[in-house]
Amino acid sequence: MSWETVIGLEIHVQLSTKSKLFSGGSTEFGAESNTHVDLIDMGLPGVLPVANKEAFYKAIRFGLATGANINQTSSFDRKNYFYPDLPKGYQITQMAQPIVEKGSIKIAVDDYEKEINITRAHLEEDAGKSIHDMFEGETGVDLNRAGTPLLEIVSEPEISSAKEAVAYFKAIRQLVTFLDICDGNMAQGSMRCDVNVSIKKSGDKELGTRAELKNINSFKFIEKAINFEIDRQIRLIENGECVVQETRLYDSEKNETRSMRSKEEANDYRYFPCPDLLPVIISDKELKEIKENLPELPEEKEMRYIQEIGLEESEAKIISSSKAMANMFEEASSKTNDAKLIAKWLVGDVSALLNKDNIEIDESNLSAENFGILIERISDNTISGKIAKSVLEEIWENGSNVDEIIKTKGLIQIQDESLLEEIASKVIDANPDQVATYKSGKDKLFGFFVGQVMKETQGKANPKSVNLILKELLDNLN
Amino acid sequence: MDKKTVTTISYLSRLKIDDEKEEKIINDLGNIIEFVDQLNDVDTSEIAPLANPLEKTAKTRKDIVTAKNLKKELLDVAPSANEDYFLVPRVVE
Repeated sequence: MSWETVIGLEIHVQLSTKSKLFSGGSTEFGAESNTHVDLIDMGLPGVLPVANKEAFYKAIRFGLATGANINQTSSFDRKNYFYPDLPKGYQITQMAQPIVEKGSIKIAVDDYEKEINITRAHLEEDAGKSIHDMFEGETGVDLNRAGTPLLEIVSEPEISSAKEAVAYFKAIRQLVTFLDICDGNMAQGSMRCDVNVSIKKSGDKELGTRAELKNINSFKFIEKAINFEIDRQIRLIENGECVVQETRLYDSEKNETRSMRSKEEANDYRYFPCPDLLPVIISDKELKEIKENLPELPEEKEMRYIQEIGLEESEAKIISSSKAMANMFEEASSKTNDAKLIAKWLVGDVSALLNKDNIEIDESNLSAENFGILIERISDNTISGKIAKSVLEEIWENGSNVDEIIKTKGLIQIQDESLLEEIASKVIDANPDQVATYKSGKDKLFGFFVGQVMKETQGKANPKSVNLILKELLDNLN
Repeated sequence: MDKKTVTTISYLSRLKIDDEKEEKIINDLGNIIEFVDQLNDVDTSEIAPLANPLEKTAKTRKDIVTAKNLKKELLDVAPSANEDYFLVPRVVE
């Protein structure tokens, strides 16, 4: 029997506003517990929430970038449930009139591209944090996060594999960081994701019963959790059992999903319009302004890099793949005239170092300024490419200044032709056997002489000059 | 309105209903629903849902942090807290 997988994702994106969705509380991450809690976040009697317009603007940017409809009138509803980190006993969200509806985003998987439709994206407030393991028999509650604005992005169930789900999540992350509406920091929980998974017989029209996997916050775990869940559901059905509609928690240590019984009974949220909040109107003028100030998106950047700067398509793709990478490229390019060389190094040596350390470029010791100067020193022949590599590695280790490294280590390229000629002659004299072989027609041996000169100069010789000088000396030998 | 519905609603809203009052509550709630159900007689198919009866639109805030650090005051008035957290009976996932 062959099975098809049907996946839909709900991604919670924490919007990068300074203050909360309905109060003047700060959204700063990592603050001392319960210090960013306003009376409104506490849900104390007599308080009135007032919506933060910036959260709407950020949500609209996402809508415009995904070609969605923007509801210029949108309203808030209450989702009712009891949990200690939800002080009011309800979450304010947008059920009936979300700010964004019907968009789409392109994803790339291995060798194909696919368009995933986005059902809706709505604003809602985050809950606080429960701390279960610190106190004997009690749960601690930190309300700093309560009321932080989230954009919940709901996809259509059009994702057909764990790989596609990861590609979709990555595409959303790339977009929201380029739009500057979310910092994309997964470790700090700025993006979290619930995954709906079901399976059906190949060709069946009707969807199978789905399980919801909660709160997964890394690319790796999305893929693993979905693959585990697909296998579990296939096994159940092939054994004549049924998939139960339920919420399941992914345990990354055991690599399994298990039922979350606590949430099962509370599946009736009794939504109703929030009487504390009036509908929010976005004027035509506001919408036009947001549209005009939309930042350059990854695809537009890629095109510009190819057409205006002359990068290879593969280079342009890698550089525009993340905001941090694109920033690095654009800032470093302003320090040198050789943007193409910047690109070559970013895609080559720098990417290799990033992969080795498994970090993003804005987490490295390499600043755009330092990187730009490093490339400039190659362009102006101060150092050779080979030396530049070792300088890059040193910056990578401790972030020191390019010119300082070149100066203190005496790495300046040897341009003095008479000095190079002297060294080249010495190399030729010291290797009569290789000279004879070379002269007998083994052209490939030329590299050997270049290598020897480089060795003599600790890599500091200008390779172009060395080539010319050696060629001349060797050709003139009898 | 039946016993099962009332039991579910009382669980969802965390309201305990005493056994001796249960029958009266089932009866009262049934009457209320029946009364409100009259609204269903009106044809509203052409009318957009009303989010708020005030027929006004919201004033909004600029994105500015105005809250003060009220940690001590808030934890002091909580039914149970230590110096850093509100404390509640243990909830296990």
